[in-house]
Order: sequence, then structure tokens, then C-alpha cells
Amino acid sequence: MTSNLEMINRFRPAFVGVFLSLIVCASAMASQPTLDLTRYRGQVVVVDFWASWCKPCRDSIPWLNQMRARHGARGLVVLGVNVDAERADADRFLSAIPVEFEVIFDPNGVLATEFGLRGMPSTFVYDRNGKLVSTYNGFREKQRAEHEAELEQLLSSTTQ
Amino acid sequence: MRTKLPALLGLLCLAMAGCTNLGVKPWEREVLARDDMQPDANPLDTALDDHIYFSKEGTSGGRGFGGGGCGCN
Amino acid sequence: MAEKDQLIGGALAAAACGLLGAAAPGTSIAAEPASKWDVDTAFLYYGESDGRVQDASLSGLAIRNFGDDRKLSLGLTVDSLTGASPSGAIASNQVQTFTSPSGKSTYTTPAGEIPLDSSFHDSRVALDAGWSQPFARLYSFNAGLGISTEFDYQHLGLNAGVTRDFNQRNTTLSFAVAMGKDKVKPVGNVPVAFAAMGDVVDEDGTSANRGSDSEDKDVLDVLFGVTQVVGRHTLLRLNYSYSDSSGYLTDPYKVLTVVDPLTGEPVVRTPPPGVEGPGGVYLFEHRPESRTRQGLYGELRQDFSGKVLQLGYRFSTDDWEVDSHTLEGRFRFPLGESSYLEPHARYYTQSAASFYRYSLAVGTPLPDFASADARLADLDAYTLGIKYGHESSGGNEWSTRLEFYRQSGKAPDSVLIGNQRGTAQMPDFDAVILQFNYHFKL
Repeated sequence: MTSNLEMINRFRPAFVGVFLSLIVCASAMASQPTLDLTRYRGQVVVVDFWASWCKPCRDSIPWLNQMRARHGARGLVVLGVNVDAERADADRFLSAIPVEFEVIFDPNGVLATEFGLRGMPSTFVYDRNGKLVSTYNGFREKQRAEHEAELEQLLSSTTQ
Repeated sequence: MRTKLPALLGLLCLAMAGCTNLGVKPWEREVLARDDMQPDANPLDTALDDHIYFSKEGTSGGRGFGGGGCGCN
Repeated sequence: MAEKDQLIGGALAAAACGLLGAAAPGTSIAAEPASKWDVDTAFLYYGESDGRVQDASLSGLAIRNFGDDRKLSLGLTVDSLTGASPSGAIASNQVQTFTSPSGKSTYTTPAGEIPLDSSFHDSRVALDAGWSQPFARLYSFNAGLGISTEFDYQHLGLNAGVTRDFNQRNTTLSFAVAMGKDKVKPVGNVPVAFAAMGDVVDEDGTSANRGSDSEDKDVLDVLFGVTQVVGRHTLLRLNYSYSDSSGYLTDPYKVLTVVDPLTGEPVVRTPPPGVEGPGGVYLFEHRPESRTRQGLYGELRQDFSGKVLQLGYRFSTDDWEVDSHTLEGRFRFPLGESSYLEPHARYYTQSAASFYRYSLAVGTPLPDFASADARLADLDAYTLGIKYGHESSGGNEWSTRLEFYRQSGKAPDSVLIGNQRGTAQMPDFDAVILQFNYHFKL
């Protein structure tokens, strides 16, 4: 009679293979960046795609920090999505320019593709109802005031 | 040959423009953003070289500018 | 007399446009505000073999960033040229005597040697300024001004250009125009075309073969370019250039030797008694009053996991029938975290101008145009060099490059006279180029 132990021994390579595949699958799925905006319903959400190699991001990130500091209490949420292919590059940037908001890592550009980025950096602004109201393509000094005014306007409106 | 040059460039431009699937997504420019991948990486060196070759040879110039880079803003 | 590249000002100004990009991986990102000034300084030494031309120059290029990609570039170059240059006269089996360009003295060339005019000494100062800025998101505009001056030549240039991005900035089209106005004020005045080199004149006299004290030259350059991102690691560029020069395009210091039609040897001349002067008949050259040139340039830039290959090819053709091909390659590879090595090779070949002559035979009718300047002959040139660079922790970089240049020319058989076939000597030379750069940010 073939014991269970013998069965396991005979099919060990197959079991190991399946087990490893499950682990790989699970970790691949776990590393798929996700962005669920519904959790932020009722707040104004700014999703900003940035990278260590993007020169204007050295100005846009501090500006986002500033926005978060000024308006966070009124319900402004800033989410950064980093698209560096190498995590080490992103970490080096973050150690020089700290980020005061949540960062999601998207090294394979999955979220970038989903959002349909047309340039770098790219900022998507959602009102309190979760509706996309603005897309900023690039970051320019002269638009700071304009963008901040838009955020203030969105923050002062209430959820419907 | 002389008169055909503009036509040749025009043809090549059309060929390049026609390949609109040529290129990368905006978030895939990490290599292109590097200093050493810029087409005008060393303008001073280029100018110094051009000056030497202009003085010592019969023809010069034509290298141009612009493009590549991180594609930001 | 050193000549200028009309588009240097443009290249410097426009290069500021191309300075998009970020810190290379492996370098530190400064936590302090982005630097306002980007300064590159260079010391260059150029030295030819056999006591010929030597040039030392000091250059600086400073780029000031005003935010949002608006840049001001300022360049200054000071250089000093000494040494001897070939005058266009040919080697002879006799000693030859020539009058210097000033007309105040003579110099001799030993038998068997190519005559070099050793009274060359020139200092040049060049200033360039340029502005570039984006407009309407996908466009950028640039403009520049350049002036340079040396004791016998002045140049004034203006340039302007525009670029437009397409296809999510994967394609960039560029267009630029440059205009130059030059003034030649040769030592001893502008020689009359094909006039014979005269005897030494005293302080007050002017030689009969000399005309006005200055002549003008106008240049118009137009450039169309396409830069295309081919892949994550590949950049391709294609340029078409058109250049139109008009005015005084002759070299006022170059001559042609008049030779015997059978032997090909320079005819002998005896100056009048009590007067010093040339021992042969040497006629000042004469080039056309206009030159139209077109060029096509292609360049590939390819990254191989941090190593960069740059390959370029340029074809140029003009109505002087000087056609040239240039093939150039550079390969940069990192050495450790902060240094790099970049070998460089260049090959250049050109075909002779239609009016290039090795010499002129006595008794034959003068052509409309003729020049014995070796830079208008058939020629090949090779450059082999290496550059080493090191970036310090502060983000500043110093680099050095050493290059060897070899030029060898050939007079087409059709322009050789008598026994010159087989004995014609071209003023070939080797040169060394040594450069030190220091690049820093303020």
C-alpha cells in the first residue's frame, strides 16, 4: 500500500514547484501597486507621479509637502506615486528631499499606464466627490499660485 | 547629389514621424534623462573641437541642438 | 588668420536648451535649492609637429538658470596662436625667399622643405551670449549673439532658433538660423587677386599689389533637425544644414607658386638691385565670392547599462566641389562610482575644391580662381583620443582629454605639372590636443 509519505516523496518536485509558484504569484500580486481612491471620499485628493530623474520634481515635491502642511487639516490628501525603475534611485531622492505624504512605488509603470500619464511630473486632482477635476502636466514655478488657489477652492466646497 | 539632400532629409523625417509607435512612455525616461545621454552634453568641448576642425579642414558645422532628455514639463 | 565657426554662439546658446535632465544615477542629489549657475571652464593646448601652429586657449561657459527652463548662457574664449603655417608655396630643390605679409621683411625656406610663413602671431577674444526658454508647453525658443576679434579679423554673429516637441516629447523638431558678418583686415592690406608677391617696401611705401585695407564676408546658416527617442536606451538625431557665404572668402596670406611647365620647379626671379624680395614668382590666391554648402548629419546615442556609445556621420557638399565625410565615435564607460573614461575616434575625408591647384605653370592662362591652400586639397584626417573625468562629492567635475590628430593631403594628379607627379609634397602634420576642464555649480 502506498503510504501518504511515499506519495509526497514521489511527487515532491511537483509539490515544491506548485508551492513556489503560489509564493511567486502571491508576491507578484502583492507588489502590484494599487490605488483605491474610494477610501478618500470626502477629501480632496492629489495624486502626483514623480521620479528621481525628473528635474522639476525637485521643486514639485517640496511644493506638495507645503500644500499638505497648509491644507492637510482641511482634508487635503497627497499621494505620491514613484515610477523609478530602480528603487535605489527613489530612495536616494527621498533621503535628500524628504516626502511628507504617502508614496506608492510603481516601478513597472502599471499605475502610470492606468492613469494614462502624458508627461512628467503628472498630477491628478480629485474633488471631495472623487471626481477628477484637473490634470497638471509638468510643474512650473509660475503655476504654483494658480494650482494652490484651485486646491483651496476645492477644499472649501463640501461633499454632495 | 547636392539637390537631393533636402529631399533625402524630408523622406527620413517622414519615416521617423510615421513610426509614431517609436518612443517611450513619459515615465520610462530614466536613461534618457542622464547627463551623458544628452545630445549636447558638453557644449564647450563641442565648440572647441568645431573651432579646431574649422581652422584645419575644408568643411564644418551642422551638428544641431535640442531633443532627448527627461521630457519633463 | 584663424576663422570662426559662425554657429558657435548658436551652439552655445542652443546647448542650454538641451540641458534637460537630472542627476545621473550614482551621483548625489543636493538637498539645497537647485543651483543657479552652471559653469564649465577649459584650458586647451593645441600643438602641431615641426614648429607649426601652436594654440593655447582659456574658455568659460556659464549658464544661469532662471527657473522653468529659462536659461542665460555667457561664454568667453581667449586664445593665443603662434607658430608657422604653410603659405601655399611648394617645396623646391633650391632655397626660396619670400616677403612677409607686412611687406617689411623677407624669410627663407631651406631646399626641400615646404615653405611656412613663420611670422604668424595672433590673439583672439570671443564673447557669446544666449537666451533660451520654453513657450506654449511644447515649444522652446533660443537666441544668441556672438562677437570675436583678433588683430586682423572681426566677427559678429546673431542666431535664433525654435524647437517643437511631438509624440509625448519623443520627437523634437528644431529650426535655427544664424547670420554672421565678418571683416578681414589683413596685415599689409588685402592683396589684389593673382598679383605677384612684391618686394620689401619701406615704411611709407605701399606695395602695388595691395588693395583696400579691409574686406567683408557675410554668412547665412540654416539648420533643420529631428531628434527622435527610439527606445528607452536609444536616441537618434538627424540634421540638414544649409550655409551660404558671400564676400571676401579668399585667404589674404596664401599664395600659389609659378612653376616651369616641364620640370614643375618654381621659376627663379631676381629682385632689383639693392632691394630685398621674393626669389620666385608667387601669386596671391583668389577664391570665388560665394560658397553654398549643404550637409546631412546623423547621430546615434545608445546606452548599454550605464555605458554610452555615441556614433555620428556627417556628409557635406558644396559648390566649390569640396565634399566631405566625417565619421566619429565616442564610448563613455564609468570607472567606479564617480569617474569615467571616454575613448574617441574620428575619421575625416574630403575631396579637393574645383579651383585647388598645387601650383601654376608659367605661360598658361590664369584660371578664374585658384588656391594652393592644403585645406582645400584632397585630404584625410584621423583623430584618436581619450578623456577621463571625475565627479567630486559636491557635484563638481574635472576632466582631461588627450587627442592625437593626423592630417595627410593629396594633390589630385590633374593639378600636378611636369615632374611634380611623384615628387609633390603636401604640408601634412600631426597635432596633439590636451584639454583640462573644470565644471562646477554655484
